[in-house]
Amino acid sequence: MLRSRLQYIMMSAVALLLLASGCSKVEYRKIDSPAYLRVFNNLNYTISLENKDEPVPFLTMLIDPQTDQDGMPVSAAVKGDFLDQRDPYAPPYPSHAGTSISYKNPEYPGKENVLVGPVLNGFDLSSWAQIPSGKHRVMFMFRPVNNTPFFDLEPRLKKSVLIDTTLTLDAKEVYTLHVLQKDFITKKNGIYLRQENFHKLPLSDSMVYVNFYNMSAKGFQEADKSLKTGYKKSGALQNGVKDNMNIFYTLYKTEPSIAFPLPGYTQKFLGSLIRNSEVLQVTPYYSFPLFADGTSDGIHTTIWQHLDFMAPGMHPANNPYYPFQSETDGNWAPVECLLTGKTAIQGKENSALLPNMIVNIPSGIYNPRSFATVNTIEIVNGNIYLTTVQRKYAPPIY
Amino acid sequence: MLPLIPALLILLFSACKHDDLAIAKPNENFRLASDFVKNNYDLTLFSAAVEKSGMAETLRGKGPFTLLVPSNTAFNEIGISKASDFDKMNTDSLKAMVQRHVLDQQLNFNQVPVNGVDIRYHTLAGTDVYATLASYAPNNSAYPANDLYFNGSSVTRKDVTVANGVVHVLNKVMKVTPNSTVQAWLAKRPQYSIFVSGLKKFGFWDKLSDKGPFTVFAPQNSVFEANGITEASVAALDPATYSGERLFGSYILHNKHFFISDYNVFYIINTEATYNGQLENDTWYFIISSTRNFYTAAVTYSAHLQTALSYPYDTYPAVTAIPALTDNLTDNGLVHDMQGLLLLPEQALKH
Repeated sequence: MLRSRLQYIMMSAVALLLLASGCSKVEYRKIDSPAYLRVFNNLNYTISLENKDEPVPFLTMLIDPQTDQDGMPVSAAVKGDFLDQRDPYAPPYPSHAGTSISYKNPEYPGKENVLVGPVLNGFDLSSWAQIPSGKHRVMFMFRPVNNTPFFDLEPRLKKSVLIDTTLTLDAKEVYTLHVLQKDFITKKNGIYLRQENFHKLPLSDSMVYVNFYNMSAKGFQEADKSLKTGYKKSGALQNGVKDNMNIFYTLYKTEPSIAFPLPGYTQKFLGSLIRNSEVLQVTPYYSFPLFADGTSDGIHTTIWQHLDFMAPGMHPANNPYYPFQSETDGNWAPVECLLTGKTAIQGKENSALLPNMIVNIPSGIYNPRSFATVNTIEIVNGNIYLTTVQRKYAPPIY
Repeated sequence: MLPLIPALLILLFSACKHDDLAIAKPNENFRLASDFVKNNYDLTLFSAAVEKSGMAETLRGKGPFTLLVPSNTAFNEIGISKASDFDKMNTDSLKAMVQRHVLDQQLNFNQVPVNGVDIRYHTLAGTDVYATLASYAPNNSAYPANDLYFNGSSVTRKDVTVANGVVHVLNKVMKVTPNSTVQAWLAKRPQYSIFVSGLKKFGFWDKLSDKGPFTVFAPQNSVFEANGITEASVAALDPATYSGERLFGSYILHNKHFFISDYNVFYIINTEATYNGQLENDTWYFIISSTRNFYTAAVTYSAHLQTALSYPYDTYPAVTAIPALTDNLTDNGLVHDMQGLLLLPEQALKH
């Protein structure tokens, strides 16, 4: 008796719920034939006495803006607000979307609540925003550093245009857009749109891939040290590297120690790097095996990467500089890709720090499991950045 | 233990007795800005200026306003020691001076952006003031400095709430000459005539009416005379024998508008202790830094010339200034008074 009454009450509750919720219609947003776009603000200068009047590099991106008769934007189809200087690490998933407590966005889409890319040929594009394909007017505006949305600012603060240009985005293509300083002497700023091709290449999931760009401003390396912002964390890289560099790599077996370099993977030539902030082309991907360490179990590996950027004619084996020297005339810049990019190695004081290119994360029954990734390392003036793209992987089973 | 129990009981019972607690109520009856200034002994000179310029009625209005009120000491330092001294001033320019110290919005301390440099706010005179807030060193927000400046004047007392806005007390009068250039400012003041004739002699004078901005450090005639330099001796200098860039060009920073406080601000927010500027068309450097007095908040600077940036180099004695005479703002830059010479003619001889 009691049971049937309970059932009756439950049933009517469910019926009520269905009645109440059944009428609301969910509007799903959809973009037909989208292009995938990820935007970085590479303006990494600091405001100092020398450049006191330069605008603070804090931006708003407007795609297809409507402007009033004075040329001031009043609305836009796509808005990427609070675009801060980029982080040293652009992770494969927009992880700061859930963890950040700041209004500042280190990239676009980053924390923005927009439609993001799908899994394309195995690669997870959730850090890329969907943008309608076709020709777009793109404006980047300097904005004051506060949490007022761009269109709510006072009119006089909405007039500082960094660039106003037109871009053509093709459907189903993957793009990264960079705001860059093009010339260090004239302080001219500009943008650089790169059509990525990693999702079209036959890349193996047992190899770690990396390509390199030097998108530094013209004249940065040659300029006097007193004119540059010293990024102490960049070590020997803080004053830039020469326009032509060779890249060497060494794999070490255990984090965070340099005691065990992997035999066969020490001081190996990887490729060359030419400064280029104008011509838009994807540089070749270089690779090394995920399980280069033969003693690992094929599931998890502790190897990490050391990179040396060296001027042509030099080799890490006959390096004339010492690891405590931060002034190497742009001839040598070492980088450690280790743990989360925060751990310095004793005896390698002038290295820039980046996170490990290999992603170690719980997956399936393994904790952790190592995954091969596709990486892009970008040098912009005295800073270095790592962008990691990862394939979709199985969720952990606990 | 037992004898303690009655004592505890007494305590227990007495604890129940409540006297009415008198809590000081926060003041809810704020005065109007003009009344507050009038009733404050340290702000009587600004109050006199407000009365005399006819701005009192405006400041009794609804607002909201932000009053940047120089203290009496600040007025004393520029030669105004009693209310009647304002009678010597033209009423219109006095009114403009008062209006330039009043913002047409309420600006509390916490509304100024953290580590913001040269944030412009609109005044009743239609001009802008430059607000700069040195909050804290990079990654060191736990130990804030929170030094606030308006046009290079330190705020010594901030956020005094009044019925129609807020009052901040400054330790220096903001000296703005609108519709004027650095050149016109110097030309108008006879106490800088030797400096001006030197600039003319070595070909720097005409540039000072350009767009700029310029930061000029100007020694007065008395300083030149103390070093044995007169109008006549400047006129006798031969530009072929002396390096004009070092002798007179070194007093001008091109394409820079620096308040004296800026050197202290960037020392805090960017750990930039000094500014090293290379002289135009020369290898020497002009080096300057400033310090803020902990007690008075007065900002003083120290500047010198150096033959190179890194060792080996020679330096010339550092010179300083009277804080009250610095930060004279014009449309194309600033003039700071300098109490000393960077270089003597015999040190600027071409070899």
